Amino acid sequence: MSKLLVAFVWAAGFTAHAQGFSQRGFMEMSGNIYTQTVPNDSAYGTGEALFGYELKWQPKPWLILNASLEARIDTHHQDSRSLQVDWEDRSLQRPALSIRQLSAVLKRDNLTMTLGKQFIRWGETDFLNPTDRFAPKDLLTIVDQEVLPVTAVRLTYTHGNNALNFVWQPLFTPGRIPLVNQRWTFVPEAFSQFDVQNIGSKFPGRSSFGVRWSRTSAGYEWSLSYYDGFNYLPSSIPSFDATLTRVSFSPFYPALRLYGGDLAIPLSQLTLKGEAAYYTSPTNQQDEYLLYVLQLERQIHDLRLIFGYAGEVVTAHAETLQFAGERGFARAVFGHALYTLDSNRTLTLDVFVRQNGGSALLRPGYSHSFGEHWRATVSFTWLSGDPNDFLGRYYRNSFATAELRYSF
Amino acid sequence: MNKPLCALALLACHACAVHAQDARQIMTEVQNRTQSKSEHYEGSLEVINASQKISKKRWAYDRLGVYGNSKSELRFIAPPDVKGVALLVINHPDRASDQWMWIPAEERDRRIALQDRSSRFFGTDFSFEDLEERDIDQYDFKLLGDDKLDDATCWKIESRPKESKTSQYTSSLLWVRKDRYFLVRTDNFIKDRLVRQIAYRDVESIDGIWTALDVAVVDLTRNSRTVLSLEKVKYNLPMKSGDFTRENFRQ
Repeated sequence: MSKLLVAFVWAAGFTAHAQGFSQRGFMEMSGNIYTQTVPNDSAYGTGEALFGYELKWQPKPWLILNASLEARIDTHHQDSRSLQVDWEDRSLQRPALSIRQLSAVLKRDNLTMTLGKQFIRWGETDFLNPTDRFAPKDLLTIVDQEVLPVTAVRLTYTHGNNALNFVWQPLFTPGRIPLVNQRWTFVPEAFSQFDVQNIGSKFPGRSSFGVRWSRTSAGYEWSLSYYDGFNYLPSSIPSFDATLTRVSFSPFYPALRLYGGDLAIPLSQLTLKGEAAYYTSPTNQQDEYLLYVLQLERQIHDLRLIFGYAGEVVTAHAETLQFAGERGFARAVFGHALYTLDSNRTLTLDVFVRQNGGSALLRPGYSHSFGEHWRATVSFTWLSGDPNDFLGRYYRNSFATAELRYSF
Repeated sequence: MNKPLCALALLACHACAVHAQDARQIMTEVQNRTQSKSEHYEGSLEVINASQKISKKRWAYDRLGVYGNSKSELRFIAPPDVKGVALLVINHPDRASDQWMWIPAEERDRRIALQDRSSRFFGTDFSFEDLEERDIDQYDFKLLGDDKLDDATCWKIESRPKESKTSQYTSSLLWVRKDRYFLVRTDNFIKDRLVRQIAYRDVESIDGIWTALDVAVVDLTRNSRTVLSLEKVKYNLPMKSGDFTRENFRQ
């Protein structure tokens, strides 16, 4: 597959002056300074360098080719040191070299087909997207979530204000969960004397399928969606060895059938957005629940405000240990403010508070671009809470971040 | 009411009606003369803020359709920091447009709600509403008289959005060159306060259509201005409606 990418880059390079060719990329250096150490991680600081390059080429009016490659290295071994180009995105660590996109878009009248590795985003809300099932998340650091691409065939039919999306994903892409020897894996006090081992994931063999019907009108837009596949966040059943010194677990990905919808209604002063999905488990390997988000948005000159509530209603419990990477952010109010100081500078503030006070997150940030290429961003993430709460357990993980990006 | 006064009142009403009709006729002619099936250009923007700091941006613009019934896409092509950010505008003859903004880093689009249209578009002095293309039927016009602007004789016309139409502006003053039926300046007011001036300069005939190659926007509330210079302007290129959909916009 990497040869295919190289061939595409080579071909695109030769046609750089051809119509319909564009490219962009960036180099980014970032560093995190943590305020405390934790029992399974004694590091105060982590650093990462990231390089991304993206090509788009439209050789024919009906054909677009997209490719993007990412290379990264870090100080904390969250990034793999292997130089093998990764296509599947199934490794525990982030791959050092990965293909983020390699897709062909074919268009004919109202039909668009996208084949290959691509990003597929569903849903309307900003904080949490219950219907967004073809967008597995990289949750290595829990509070900085990256979306992973999937290998899929996507067919879109548009007719007037309606759009119908069919997605078939033959190759499963799991979400990435925190590494067991690092601070974002919380080891309860009772397990602190055990050696915790991830003995390897069991990936589903069959494909996933989804369909989404969306409609846009003057006063609203809405969609209905259905998904039949697997939860990209794992469940597991931990087992103890005979000497009771080691706990091992093997993540597996429960079958999932989901019925969802979203809605956006621009009102005179506010925009109301809602998104909900009912998660069912045909194999009873995970809980069944309704996950929903209600959100209000308001723009006041250069200040953009988002305020909302993420909720959850559990209708059936399963006897497995389930990683709550998404549900862990429900039952909470959240807010986001973005203030544009001028064309180069922005201030942001993210707020998250669990409804029972079990955890809270506060993240002020400042971003400044210099000239045409450079952007510097600094932020501080303050975490607080109860060790029994999904987010609260990271109360020792407050950290400051500085990023410097060069775009070209 | 005695007869002479009645006749005077009728005459005054008639004069008002003639003026109102003239203003609409002028604006109809302005619209007709700048009409094309499609348009493409590349625009260089210089945003000069109150402390005279300059930031430069560049976008590519495509439009399909005519006033009030058109679709357009505007996509930043420079600087690299914002490259790929795009705005899709679907204009409607009877109401404000639908707008979506695409931010590649987020891999999703965001609908620009009506109440957000007065905010600045991505750090420029254009508001989202300024990037719409509204049909003249959405406004009432009144001819205020003649005026001179840059040595050209102009009609000075007041426009107000019709009661049912949503706009950030309460009213606008328009200057239309008499010799070309071309809009050369717009002063936009919120209540009685002048908030934004747009000047259309460096006018050339391209494919028989008078085109301003230099558009200067001044935001008087923040004392900043944006100058948009148009390049590679082409009209009536073959374009497809399917290229102006949310699905295509995300590619």
